[in-house]
Amino acid sequence: MTSLSPETRKKITELTGKYPQKQAALLPVLHLIQNEIGYIPAEAEIWVAELLGLQPVRVKEVITFYTMFLEKPIGRYHLQVCTNLSCTLAGARNILSYLMNKLGIKPGETTADGRFTLTTVECLGACEHAPCMMVNFDYYEHLTPEKIDKILDGLE
Amino acid sequence: MAKKEKYLTGLFGLENLHEIEVYLQNGGYEAAKKAVKSMKPEEILKEVKAANLRGRGGAGFPAGVKWGFVPPTADKPKYLCVNADEGEPGTFKDKYIMSHNPHLLLEGIIITSYCVGIHQAFIYIRGEYEMIARRLEKAIDEAKTKGFLGKNIFGSQFALEVVVHRGAGAYICGEETALLESLEGKRGHPRLKPPFPASVGLFQCPTVINNVETIANVPFIIARGAEWFTQMGLPQDGGTRIFGVSGPVKKPGIYELPLGTSLRELIFNHAGGMLEGKELKAVIPGGMSAPILTADEIDISLDFESLKNAGSMLGSGAVIVIDKETSMLDVLQVVTKFYAHESCGQCTPCRVGVSWINKIVQRMAAGQGSPEDLETISRLASAIMGKTLCPLGDAAAMPILGIVEKFKDELLAQMGH
Amino acid sequence: MVKITIDGQQVEVKEGLTILKAAESIGIEIPHLCFHPAFPPEGSCRLCLVEIEGRPKLELACSTIVQEGMNIYTQSERVREARQVVLELLLAEHPPDCPICDKAGDCHLQDYYEEHGLFDSHFWENKERRAKKVPLGKNLILDRERCILCTRCVRFLKEITRTGELGVFQRGIHSEIDYFPGQPVNNNYSGNLAELCPVGAITDKDFRFQTRSWFLVSKPTICPHCSRACSIYIDFHPGFPRIELDKYVYRLRARENPEINDYWICDFGRYNYSYLEKNRVVSVLVNRDGQLQEDEWDKQIELLGKKLKELYLKKRTNRIGVILHSALTNEELYLAKKIFREDLPEVNLYLIDPPEGKGDNWLLTSSRTPNLKGMELIGLNPQKFPPENGFNELEMMIIFAYHPLGDGHYAQLKSVLEEVPFSVLFTAHQTTLMNQVTVVLPALLLAEKEGSVINVEGKLQQFKAALHPPGNAHSEGEALLAIGRNLGINFSFYRNMRSTADILGKLSQDISFFEGQSD
Repeated sequence: MTSLSPETRKKITELTGKYPQKQAALLPVLHLIQNEIGYIPAEAEIWVAELLGLQPVRVKEVITFYTMFLEKPIGRYHLQVCTNLSCTLAGARNILSYLMNKLGIKPGETTADGRFTLTTVECLGACEHAPCMMVNFDYYEHLTPEKIDKILDGLE
Repeated sequence: MAKKEKYLTGLFGLENLHEIEVYLQNGGYEAAKKAVKSMKPEEILKEVKAANLRGRGGAGFPAGVKWGFVPPTADKPKYLCVNADEGEPGTFKDKYIMSHNPHLLLEGIIITSYCVGIHQAFIYIRGEYEMIARRLEKAIDEAKTKGFLGKNIFGSQFALEVVVHRGAGAYICGEETALLESLEGKRGHPRLKPPFPASVGLFQCPTVINNVETIANVPFIIARGAEWFTQMGLPQDGGTRIFGVSGPVKKPGIYELPLGTSLRELIFNHAGGMLEGKELKAVIPGGMSAPILTADEIDISLDFESLKNAGSMLGSGAVIVIDKETSMLDVLQVVTKFYAHESCGQCTPCRVGVSWINKIVQRMAAGQGSPEDLETISRLASAIMGKTLCPLGDAAAMPILGIVEKFKDELLAQMGH
Repeated sequence: MVKITIDGQQVEVKEGLTILKAAESIGIEIPHLCFHPAFPPEGSCRLCLVEIEGRPKLELACSTIVQEGMNIYTQSERVREARQVVLELLLAEHPPDCPICDKAGDCHLQDYYEEHGLFDSHFWENKERRAKKVPLGKNLILDRERCILCTRCVRFLKEITRTGELGVFQRGIHSEIDYFPGQPVNNNYSGNLAELCPVGAITDKDFRFQTRSWFLVSKPTICPHCSRACSIYIDFHPGFPRIELDKYVYRLRARENPEINDYWICDFGRYNYSYLEKNRVVSVLVNRDGQLQEDEWDKQIELLGKKLKELYLKKRTNRIGVILHSALTNEELYLAKKIFREDLPEVNLYLIDPPEGKGDNWLLTSSRTPNLKGMELIGLNPQKFPPENGFNELEMMIIFAYHPLGDGHYAQLKSVLEEVPFSVLFTAHQTTLMNQVTVVLPALLLAEKEGSVINVEGKLQQFKAALHPPGNAHSEGEALLAIGRNLGINFSFYRNMRSTADILGKLSQDISFFEGQSD
């Protein structure tokens, strides 16, 4: 995995030592890889498997189970709009429509310039500030169309 | 009921409370020091049992009893897993504890681990709470520097390491055995019980799993005593709960109140009542998995027994308020979509049953429903209950049954009947 | 022992048993799909839920251990309802493929619906569409629409072969069985997955669309391809009255044997059954004027016996060469010993066995013959072929050929046979060697014989004939019995030998290993 930075490799090595069983480091290691590369490429699946003494299929089983792990690259900014109950009560559907119209894409798609990927997600734990969305790891709350315009403008 | 004190959230307004110096200045780590240096583990267990501290994650199981199930044997290491997955829709309280006062959680972890004989604790935090995870890690480093974690804690022989472990987007990992599987680096498939985690848990070793808020209560019980704790709230249900209120109310947010507070008081006094022009139609009292209550059912005490007797549950204390303008079909649709998305897929009734119900509801929401569909949904939901490998099946079935039963007329009307 | 009550029946069962096993031990069958006795309980299909007095919820029979005084109901209203629910849900997402599915007739889902379901369908939604022809490796095909996610296949590969090729990808209703790209199931035990799958999700390419399971007759026998001698079933089609089929044997299946192969067989043995029908010799043949002509069994056996007796009387039995192999049964080897070591002195005995192959670390041995141990224990002690010190002048050669006789030895044999005036070849399959001998006697394969073999671990297995002998073929044992009797050298031994059971009985008296084996 030559594409991983030395700092990430260092963190990965530290991680594998923190757990009594190496397999337990799988999710944290996958997070580190995805945080750097943006997704988890097939060669990384094999590399991680070998690192932790697992078969690649065990790694892929985990990646496909958890919503946050991606096997394909997405846009620079992952707009994850909550469509669960409190956010729906606060108008999440309108927010979603607004984004779909503004960006010209449907949930699951990426803008042509590779900037934004739009997805719908379940409860993010920010119900008191509904409607909300997560952009990569940042929470944006009390969303309105105006606020969204401002947010997106700030995301190059 | 006796004294009303916001011991958990009272300091949240303090600037930089998450920094250890500020926390120490406000009495932080005194309880842990007392526990580790001058109490025996048995004494701590006795106190926590006497307080009858019930789990604040959803199930309400007494923490002291749970800790007591861990066998005293020394041939295997023991583990503590703090459940910070906070996936129950409507729930956001643990986020506040961890981001505003991470050291409180660490202090609770130290006392709990010392009591049970645990030397490695994991905070299993949902992957979306990345920023909070970083804050926790920073707090751990600070505590280590001060000698409150690591070897020779407070100069004693006790050693403890705390590891922050991120999840990756799976509600099912809030279920304790699925959490263990996930922590072990596998798919979050719940395990068969027995054996219970107290004897066979993480890495097949005895394990205690507790919610963030539950652990956060421990330092106060040690500092002020079980009696102080039980004098708040209700007999057998002491202390406070951090209730969350969301939906079309004037002041959505967290409210720390003693158990026994009425639901009406929570919504209309503390959360400011409905937004201008909105009228209350229904309330979900304990996170989405708690069966719905109608507007006439909100004069109810927020405690485990009362809500259970009313056919619902206290759950995570997450109150979701629904107004008259909201379509119950929309609510139902959001609910079934959620559980279908989060089912792990292991057992037949949940995997197929919840998905089948979801398909029917999505069809209904698209305008192609019929009255028979409501019968089918009710039949399926009842059929799933009690048959699944883990509580998610019931957690899906009960709210669906509740909505269909209590809002049948509205649903029929919305389908054009 | 614990005392429990199941369906009103009070019984005493072994401690530590699950309800499922305890019920089984008294003849009560509790339906189950994901449970398999080879693995620890999985508890995911939920079909085995039963009612236990005093417990509010139904409990799993496959994983709940019986306790003293437990009162269990396997047929109560609640239990019946639960079974119907599970079946209804499984069928809701199951394609109505029965008319084209190989598993029909063998299918647990069909059987359980028949016994515990029988409800009308109420599913009007769109079923999940999934891939229906996913190759899982060189032998298997997966139909994901039929898969009920019992995960038996995943667990077999994880826990039994420890190769772990398959996994469950995705989540919820989208869960599916898959493997890591480029790492399909190609181990030597893949065929077990098609048997293990309770429905028609995993099918065997070898059996796919060949026939219907209800046409097949199943007979037990043992696999002759290596020294493990695993227990198997041969499934064959007895044929239709007016339609000719181009096949007789359609598949082999594992036969449960806790002593040898548990519930499994290897692919090497499983897929190797065409030898049972292909290229068989079905008539007695005599080489006359460079041509093989049909002849009679009794006549040629008598002639053989006469020639042997001649050499015996002339004290020239040291001019007799006999080539044996270790796929013969214990009974046949014992008769061979009686004749060629005891009755006739100084006979030259040789051994030609199939060449060794690669064994694996489980069932498949490197030795490719099932009764090597029997050969050893019965004490024939043949020389290896070709012998180091060359051959004496031979006047007669009797060859018991393993099947099919490899070309490796053919050259050697050809040159030897050129010098021998009279030779007899016992063979089940056609071989070019047939043109080099005087008489060809059609022999039988183990599947067509009654007898016993001893496997590499010293375990004796008895079996009856599973298939009928083709044409005019006879077992080597029958030939040896006739020869021995006709030789007239040892009357008392042959007088009471009428069946293989008789022979095995005598064996158990003679050789200590066989003591107690004949009952």
